[in-house]
Amino acid sequence: MSNYGTTRHHPAAAQKGVTDYHTTLFRRLSWEGTVPLEIRVDPQELPANSERGLECYFIQAPRVSYLPLLMPEIRRFLMDVVFDETAAKALKEEDWWFEADDGTLLKWHWPIGLIYDNHSILATVRPGSSLAGSMATPLRLILHLASPPTDKLLLSPSAESCKQAFMGQLKEADFIRWGNTKRITGLRKVDQDGLWEGIREHNFDDYWRVATKVTPTTTPNRSQSPGPPPSSVSMHGRPPSADNAGPPERDGAYNVRSVPVRVYLPDGPVIQDLVPPLLEDGTPHTLSHFLSTHIPLLFPPRPPAPPPSRAKPNPQAPSVPELAYPLVQGVLTPLESEMAWLGACLAGADGWLNICVGVNKK
Amino acid sequence: MHVIGFMAETTTAPSETARQLPWATPESSDVNEDALKALETYKKRDPSKVVVRFKAVGNAPIMKQNFYKITASNRFQAVIQFLRKELGWKASDPLFTYINLAFSPAPDDTVSNLFKSFCTDGHLIVNYSTTAAWG
Repeated sequence: MSNYGTTRHHPAAAQKGVTDYHTTLFRRLSWEGTVPLEIRVDPQELPANSERGLECYFIQAPRVSYLPLLMPEIRRFLMDVVFDETAAKALKEEDWWFEADDGTLLKWHWPIGLIYDNHSILATVRPGSSLAGSMATPLRLILHLASPPTDKLLLSPSAESCKQAFMGQLKEADFIRWGNTKRITGLRKVDQDGLWEGIREHNFDDYWRVATKVTPTTTPNRSQSPGPPPSSVSMHGRPPSADNAGPPERDGAYNVRSVPVRVYLPDGPVIQDLVPPLLEDGTPHTLSHFLSTHIPLLFPPRPPAPPPSRAKPNPQAPSVPELAYPLVQGVLTPLESEMAWLGACLAGADGWLNICVGVNKK
Repeated sequence: MHVIGFMAETTTAPSETARQLPWATPESSDVNEDALKALETYKKRDPSKVVVRFKAVGNAPIMKQNFYKITASNRFQAVIQFLRKELGWKASDPLFTYINLAFSPAPDDTVSNLFKSFCTDGHLIVNYSTTAAWG
């Protein structure tokens, strides 16, 4: 794993501007995450003289990418292998659109990882969905070649409008964190474009060279954050590197006004609210606290432990039913994770921490 | 782009060797009913309304009335459509919309979510322009 971090033994790692090993590791892991897609042209729309039986294409797509960025590759395959040359000329790519095999329209401006996770949590409440059997099953997509339902897709399928939507999300995230968009608008044009190019080329270094200027750092501000109480110190806590108490960081993840977070429930709705990094008592805002505050029916708050007695010197809090689970970047996420840390290390390329909630079986 | 693509001649998905994760059992009939009830509760649309205040930017025409109560569960797309109608804008006329003079929200963001995160003095301020201003 030595290639995942570049600063582990670097003496300058604690200095501002250099990202620590664990932060880079988690950013790298989420950046390199991919999802399997199975893309099939709607058989009823396949033009005459097409190579039937070959109209299916498999792709392992980056989570941080977008469907419009996959179109050139899919188009090349279809044109070269499937479509008859004459028929291909009549097709207009701006009429193409995707649907999941359960009839859900796929939005052009959602990151592919989010589309996949959102579909996989839907499968936890719907029998017979393509992802019900296993998370490693490809997400089955149907490619339509005509009559896009423009009013529901909301945006045109071009890479340019996808880029505009991405920049909008990046600025919205910036505004949530700091109350203004100065960090993004302060970037030179070439750097703003560089963020998008990094996604288009799936190049971690190109993207993060610019993104470190707008993403919070993970060095905690000791004067404000006393750290978790002793009872919650565990392997799931903040990575050890984050505890190298440095000077208070103006750009620190624990100093933002709010963490940009959206919660996706199976078949909707999407919940978004202000998520301060620290609670009023100064302790870090955990995923557990966030979920049991915003969706308590799915994540019931745990009642406090009874007072210790002679018979039970270390009483445990009563257990609550585990009805649901949170996925971040497709990963089952420990409830004691801190929202600020998740926002700095596991957010998508657009700056948003997307939490997809799936439902447990009985 | 570094993506791995390959052709498939058959339609069989490579699922037989796929790893089974604990929460993904093939039987879907045993979904927890309490969880489903909870989801139904959260799916109910919020009937409350919030005040949206429209502010013209640059050469955009000013609206005589610029405060509107809009149902919170609406998507931002509905706000854009409403604004176009009020301005008598044709579908082809350019119109750019922003929150707090800062960013364009995604059209599928709900008014309720935007209001919770960005309201100013009890209003959601929507700026509109005929040219890209903070794009």
